[in-house]
Amino acid sequence: MGFFQNIFGNGNKEEIIPICAPVAGKLVPLSEVSDPTFSDGILGQGAAVIPTENQFFSPVDGTVNTVFPTGHAAALTSAEGVEVLLHIGLDTVKLNGKHFTIHVEEGQQVKKGDLLLEADLEQIKAEGFDTITPVIVCNTEEFSEIMMARGNKVSVGDTIINIRKE
Amino acid sequence: MRDFTYVIKDPVGLHARPAGLLVKKAGEFASRITIESGGKSAEAKKLIMLMGLGVKQGAEVVCRIEGEDEDAAYEALANFFKENL
Repeated sequence: MGFFQNIFGNGNKEEIIPICAPVAGKLVPLSEVSDPTFSDGILGQGAAVIPTENQFFSPVDGTVNTVFPTGHAAALTSAEGVEVLLHIGLDTVKLNGKHFTIHVEEGQQVKKGDLLLEADLEQIKAEGFDTITPVIVCNTEEFSEIMMARGNKVSVGDTIINIRKE
Repeated sequence: MRDFTYVIKDPVGLHARPAGLLVKKAGEFASRITIESGGKSAEAKKLIMLMGLGVKQGAEVVCRIEGEDEDAAYEALANFFKENL
C-alpha cells in the first residue's frame, strides 16, 4: 500500500516508499548501466531492470507527467511525491518511436501495475540497442536514502527500490 | 532579470541526458531559472518538468534567470546550451 506509514522505534517516524518493478527481468544496480547518464547518477539514484518481457507497467500509484512521444520513456509522480523516470533501453530515443507502443496519456492517473508502454525487445536488440531499463528517482535530493532492494530475478510489482523519507 | 533565446540543435532535443546535465548546471546557482518552450514553462532545476516540455530539435527555448547570481548563471547557461544542445 503506497500510503502505508512504517513507524520505527519510539516516535521516530519514518516513511519507506516502495517503487515496484515495471517489468519482469533481472534487477541490477545503476552502476551496471553502460551509459554514464544513468550510471553516474546525473538523473538521480535508482536501479535498473534487464527486461525479459515486452510490457512495462506503472511502478507507483500516481500521475503520468510525461510520456515521450517516442514511447521509450515515461516520467511519473507518485502519490507520495516521488518523481520516477522509466527509461526503456539506452539511446533508444534514436529509434524515434519504432518498436514502442504507448498505452497512457500525460496527466493520467495510474495505479501500480497499470500498463504504460510496450516495447518489442527482440526488434530493439536486433537493431543493436541495449534494452536495460533504468528506473530513476529524479528528485533524489528530497529524500534521505534511496535503497535498491535485494533480489536478482524480479516480477512486475516486486519492490525494487525503497525510499526513506524522514 | 537576464534572459536568452536559443534554438535547439541536438537531433533528439532536450531528452534525458542533456536535461539531467542542465538540472545539474542550474543547481549550481541560487537564481530562479525557468525554461519556456511551446507555451509551456518549467523550472530548470526540476528534471521531470524539463522533460515534460518535450523540446525537440528546431524548437525555440527562452531561458529566464532571476536572482543574486544571475549574471554568472547567465554566462554558464548560455555556454551550456551552445555546448550541449
